[in-house]
Amino acid sequence: MGVVTLNRVARCAIALAAALAFAASAHAGLRVVAATTDLAAIATAVGGDLVTVDTIVPAAVDPEAFEPRPGDLEKIRSAGLLVRVGLGYDYWLDKLVRQTGDDRLMRGGAAYVDASTGIPLLEVSGQSVINEGGHAHGVANPHYWLDPENAKIVSASVAEGLARVLPADRARIAANRERFLADLDRAIARWTAQLAPVAGVKLVAYHNSWPYFARRFRLDVIDFIEPKPGVSPSPAQLARLVAGGKKAGVRAVVHEPYEPEDASRFVAQKLGVPFALLATSVGSVPEAKDYFALFDHNVVTLAKALGVPSQ
Amino acid sequence: MALGDALSFLIYPFAASVAFVLIHAYLGVHVLRRNIVFADLALAQLSALGATVAFALGYAPVSPAGFAYAFAFTTLGAALLTATRALSRVVSQEAFVGILYVAATAATILVVDRSPQGAEHVKKILIGSILTVEPPEVIKFALLYGVIGLLHWLARGPMLAVATEAQPAGRSRLAVSLWDFLFFLSFGVVVTSSVTTAGVLLVFSFLIVPAVIGSMFSRAVPVVLAIAWSAGILASALGLAGSFALDLPTGAAMVMAFVLMLALAGLAKMLVFVPATQRRHNGRMAANAVAVLALAAVLASSLWLIFNPAADQPLLAMVERTTGLGPTNFLDDIDGATYREAVRDAVRFQQEVAALNAKERAARVGAPLSDEEVRRVASYQQSFNEMARGELFVEDVLRAKARRRERWIVGLPAAALALAGLVLLASAQRQKTPRTNAGPA
Repeated sequence: MGVVTLNRVARCAIALAAALAFAASAHAGLRVVAATTDLAAIATAVGGDLVTVDTIVPAAVDPEAFEPRPGDLEKIRSAGLLVRVGLGYDYWLDKLVRQTGDDRLMRGGAAYVDASTGIPLLEVSGQSVINEGGHAHGVANPHYWLDPENAKIVSASVAEGLARVLPADRARIAANRERFLADLDRAIARWTAQLAPVAGVKLVAYHNSWPYFARRFRLDVIDFIEPKPGVSPSPAQLARLVAGGKKAGVRAVVHEPYEPEDASRFVAQKLGVPFALLATSVGSVPEAKDYFALFDHNVVTLAKALGVPSQ
Repeated sequence: MALGDALSFLIYPFAASVAFVLIHAYLGVHVLRRNIVFADLALAQLSALGATVAFALGYAPVSPAGFAYAFAFTTLGAALLTATRALSRVVSQEAFVGILYVAATAATILVVDRSPQGAEHVKKILIGSILTVEPPEVIKFALLYGVIGLLHWLARGPMLAVATEAQPAGRSRLAVSLWDFLFFLSFGVVVTSSVTTAGVLLVFSFLIVPAVIGSMFSRAVPVVLAIAWSAGILASALGLAGSFALDLPTGAAMVMAFVLMLALAGLAKMLVFVPATQRRHNGRMAANAVAVLALAAVLASSLWLIFNPAADQPLLAMVERTTGLGPTNFLDDIDGATYREAVRDAVRFQQEVAALNAKERAARVGAPLSDEEVRRVASYQQSFNEMARGELFVEDVLRAKARRRERWIVGLPAAALALAGLVLLASAQRQKTPRTNAGPA
């Protein structure tokens, strides 16, 4: 009788252990694939240890100049959830997803999240998402993650997608998101207070990545050094910028990674104002290790350039 | 834009250009004589590869380490070019130079692939940044090129002899190879230093174009150099001024200015620096060539209009812009009114979008808009954009309709006249060169 009971107990224990192991591996195994590092950062915050997050565009690579490779197809194929920027910014993703043939990952599928849903868009130009000009600013200005308030909307979309794919963990996902929102609110208050003394300041930027950032922190980006994406400025353009900048009282030149710095430094020197290198994406500068660090870096760098005393 | 402001913007780029022209034109004379025109492109790309490797390893390109890496790769290239000169009896050296260039470019892309922010560095090397050059850099260039120029002046005898012949009398193979290698080495130093400022394309122009202009007028080296330097400096000034006046990117404008200078020099050579009878002949030939080109363009454009009126018509569009003719002249009253309205409305809707953009931008620093208001603005902008696109579509449809009528009224006569002109020219040409089949004497 003892041996039979032991066998039975042992079998139950093994079965239980196997079930637990399977369940654990299944959860740790939900691969979320995000198009960019910014969406990956928000997905990590919302998913917590329910997910492992991967990015297609590596950190410090210009997403607007990104060309996908065969390895990226493999990444997407095994994705449990796909989070994309939308607005034609990651138009190359459509072709990759089509190649996998998995309709869960296509628009309308259960594992598809378009993070631009519900975002209040700026600079709507009404072009189709099918990227007519080959450039990423087709439908509207796509850099919406640079407004931390928009991260709340993005986290909602991601949480909704995760809840669709992991219905049993809805409560945990919601709790993760609440924690993220609380941290975000505290951080937004801190950042807004740091840049409040320079609200309304006029800036010149290299590339038009800043409308959402400018709206949140009340900055006025009056002109851009780059006349068209990828085209270097002509001397007449630089002269106009310098003349216009002096007249308007520009107080700093904002430059982002991925572009040669010399035109921005030249304009800054002619205007006699500081040159500020701000990050447009998590990982584009070494200090911007995650979503909060991205804004910490940008806010502190801009505040220092504009002469705001550090608190 | 005041002249003083323009000059203050362009004085340092001009000074840098003068320094570049002086040394590069001289080296270009050598390159032309050795008949390896693409070597400078290959070496420039190799030095760009070296600078990129240094960048990937964490050194700034303008640091000593960066320069050392760039120079190391250029030296490798110089050695390869010297070695392949011996093989030029079997295979043209141009083949090796071409392969070297392609390999260097591909390697640069691979290196940059692994290193973040390397792409901006490569972009800078291709486009260059001569407009934003700083005074200390200009002085450094002047000093470096002065030293190299002096060395070449001291070694001018053997250098020039080796350039013209593969095996000049009285010199051993080793001596020739040594002078070759020294030439490529100094070439490498110069190109490594100039590529990061002027960019690969402009460096190529500095090297080849003035030397070609000089070589058109003389074989004697001092004369060639004098002409090359004057032409190069003039072209640089023209390019810089043109980029300012016409609002063009500087590097590209300067390259085109060099090409223009070459074309003008060619014209001058054909029409000015020749005896009177030859000049008349050349003049007639040039006039004929221009006439044939113009008539052929008109004929092709008219035929294109007749057979495909709905397609883009570049020559016709240019004519319409200058003469003030347009689709409205070929449409009936109702269609004409619709076309004019569509043009007006498209502009109006685009202005509405711009006004909404301006309003949203002003709200960022003034009374802020709520998210709901921003969404409403976006929805209006979307509608206006779609309406503008609708009007542009109407314009396109009506323009195609007008062109379909225009092709018989304008296209057919133009084609007939152009054809008649070409036939006349051809027969005039035939009369001038009588056939030599007048029969047996």
